[in-house]
Amino acid sequence: MTGDSEKTYCFKSENKFIVKSGCKKRMWRSLKQILTAERALPWHNEAVLYYSINAPPSFRPNKKYSDISGLPAPYIDRHSKLFYSNVEEFATVRSLPMDITAGYLLLRGANTMVG
Amino acid sequence: MENVLVLKDYKTVPDIVHEYSPTLKFGHIPLVIDNGSYQCRVGWSINDEPNLIFKNLIARPRKDRCKKDAEPPATPPIQIGNDIVNIEAVRFQLKTQFDKNVVTHFEAQEQVFDYIFSHLGIDNEGSVPHPICMTEAFVTPNYCRQLMSELLFEGYGVPGVSYGVDSLFSMYKNDIGDSALIINCGYHTIHIIPVIRGQVIVDHARRINLGGSEMIYYLHKLLQLKYPVHVNAITMSRVEEILQEHSSIALNYQDEIRKWANPDYYEANVKRIQLPYVQAASSTGLTAEQQKERKKEMARRLLEINARKREERLAEDEEQLNQLLSIKDMIEDGDTDEFNEAIKGFDIKSYEDLQRQITNLNMRIDKNKQRIAAAATAEENLETRPTGRMNPPTEPEAFQVWLNDTRTKYRELVARREARRARRAAMVKRRTAAAAERMRVISRLAAAGDDFGNQDSDWDAYKSISREADSDSEADGERLLELEEALREYEPPPANSSQHHQLHLAIEPLRAPELMFQPSMMGNLEAGLAETMDYVFKHFSPEDQLLLANNVFLTGGCSQFPGLKERLERELLEMRPFQSTHKVVMAKNPCLDAWYGARDFAGSNDFENCCISKEEYYEMGAEYLKEHYVSNKYYKSPAPIVDNTLAPAVDANVVKEEIVVDC
Repeated sequence: MTGDSEKTYCFKSENKFIVKSGCKKRMWRSLKQILTAERALPWHNEAVLYYSINAPPSFRPNKKYSDISGLPAPYIDRHSKLFYSNVEEFATVRSLPMDITAGYLLLRGANTMVG
Repeated sequence: MENVLVLKDYKTVPDIVHEYSPTLKFGHIPLVIDNGSYQCRVGWSINDEPNLIFKNLIARPRKDRCKKDAEPPATPPIQIGNDIVNIEAVRFQLKTQFDKNVVTHFEAQEQVFDYIFSHLGIDNEGSVPHPICMTEAFVTPNYCRQLMSELLFEGYGVPGVSYGVDSLFSMYKNDIGDSALIINCGYHTIHIIPVIRGQVIVDHARRINLGGSEMIYYLHKLLQLKYPVHVNAITMSRVEEILQEHSSIALNYQDEIRKWANPDYYEANVKRIQLPYVQAASSTGLTAEQQKERKKEMARRLLEINARKREERLAEDEEQLNQLLSIKDMIEDGDTDEFNEAIKGFDIKSYEDLQRQITNLNMRIDKNKQRIAAAATAEENLETRPTGRMNPPTEPEAFQVWLNDTRTKYRELVARREARRARRAAMVKRRTAAAAERMRVISRLAAAGDDFGNQDSDWDAYKSISREADSDSEADGERLLELEEALREYEPPPANSSQHHQLHLAIEPLRAPELMFQPSMMGNLEAGLAETMDYVFKHFSPEDQLLLANNVFLTGGCSQFPGLKERLERELLEMRPFQSTHKVVMAKNPCLDAWYGARDFAGSNDFENCCISKEEYYEMGAEYLKEHYVSNKYYKSPAPIVDNTLAPAVDANVVKEEIVVDC
């Protein structure tokens, strides 16, 4: 009656999971929660579960690439922690505002102090 | 220079409602749904092509709360899939039923099913009378399958459902034999699945948690950081288009990116992408020359108007003066009565008043006359008005030279100012070269003899040790302002503002897809595609390894990057033993082969036997999966441990009950 969200279709007798707007929503477990729940069960040894086929961690040394250009980066700016590959890039790196450097670090997953 | 790529900004076309013919309605025709985390493809098993292909996205616009209370709040309809014509307009309201590659949000899934069934025109009362053949993620958790079956059987009353794995469907569709190493590059994940003699070796399959969506995100952020000015113009859908149409995988990433360090290579190969832009209003096709002409014209007209006004006023004043003079004549003639009559009209009280008014008028007329004369001479001088201290030559070549000269001067000044600032900043700190130099100068000054000051340059020493801004910088600052002003005035306006709205893509189109091989580039600690393949190979006997390596099968939407096949061949050459053979096979249609495969499966004779029937659903439990050659393996979920000490924190209810018993 108040829009499509509560429209009923003839092939359906009632909504299974869709709740009326305004009613309490069912909380859906996230994949992470589902996987933790799954892990806690006493599975057979041969059972293969979602988490057990994760790719192994990388054993090869990570290559360093300049954050701003993507070129191979032999240097790191101690001030901003950004990688750079040559003199011009260093000048650019030094002139970048804080939010941009933070964005680059976040993109590389290097924004946290640990690890 | 000329090959600027223009973004197409694809728009979707809302799906039509398909015809629900009697053949379909009464024929018990299976419905095939390839439910992918990027796109959903739906069609009948008797069709050649899927009827519906849409992105698995739902946009639920927010309610307008500011509306008047009188009318009920109009909830805008939720939009699903191709209903969403402009995805960027609803970007923040988008939802999907997927978490990674697994369906977890079943309210959204139900809305998608409603969309599917209603757009197929199904009008059967009370149920959907078709068996469903559906794809699910490789090793889907039982919990998710349980909810999916619940939804299909209890919500829609379907007679049966069969679940299969998309990449296995694709493999069988391509008819490449019964042993292969499937590499399925999806929207959220990359699966590496070994299949040997028709058997899926599940425990050695691996999944890299990275896919197209991560590449889009990475490229999106990369471009936004590179062009902070265009943050809003660089949208996810545009980046997706760039990734789909202009990206590729480098055969040898290290070699490839090293080439870009060379400016000539950069210039020759950089991709220019034109963002849409609005032409600035000032550059409406008029040249600077024309604009100057127009300005002059306006000034001339203004002057004319002023002159006319002055003349009119002069004429007025002269007439009044004549009248007053005639009145004055009257009184001199001794005609007092007439005089009294006349001054009433002019609002004059006495003879003295009249005298004063006459002198006033005379003065005004004189002044006006002077002004007119001045204006006439000024008009003549107008052309030769000096334009300040910056006086550029008029002929174009000389002007260009002058302009360049001014620019270099400006740049030099700026550089000097920067250097001075840096030196002063360094001087404040201890243990810097600049601070040491300052101390040296101070000590030399202290030791200077009587002849200090004989030369003017001696005094410069004070400038070099001053920590504040000195007279030099003040003079430079003034000069800088002057040059800035001149440049602003004479610098030709940017010829083509479209160039300011271009993205230059150098390594970026290679960098984003390279994430597949080097997830570490975005801080992901997992091994890349090649390394994981190597890892998977190591779990097999040399014979089986060879079997797999000779049939590496590439499928999934993200496998369409140009160069991926060649790159994989190179990686295989690197990881496989010397002189062993290997082969990479591409799926004919990486996006749709899963659907085609599922359609063939649903159309085959033993599809009925592979379906979970309603009875089986009720008997075996909601999570039950009937295994077949393209399905996942079914491991029945064990009952949770109900032990006090080892109680898993998962099932809170069970734990609570235990506590009650303990009490």
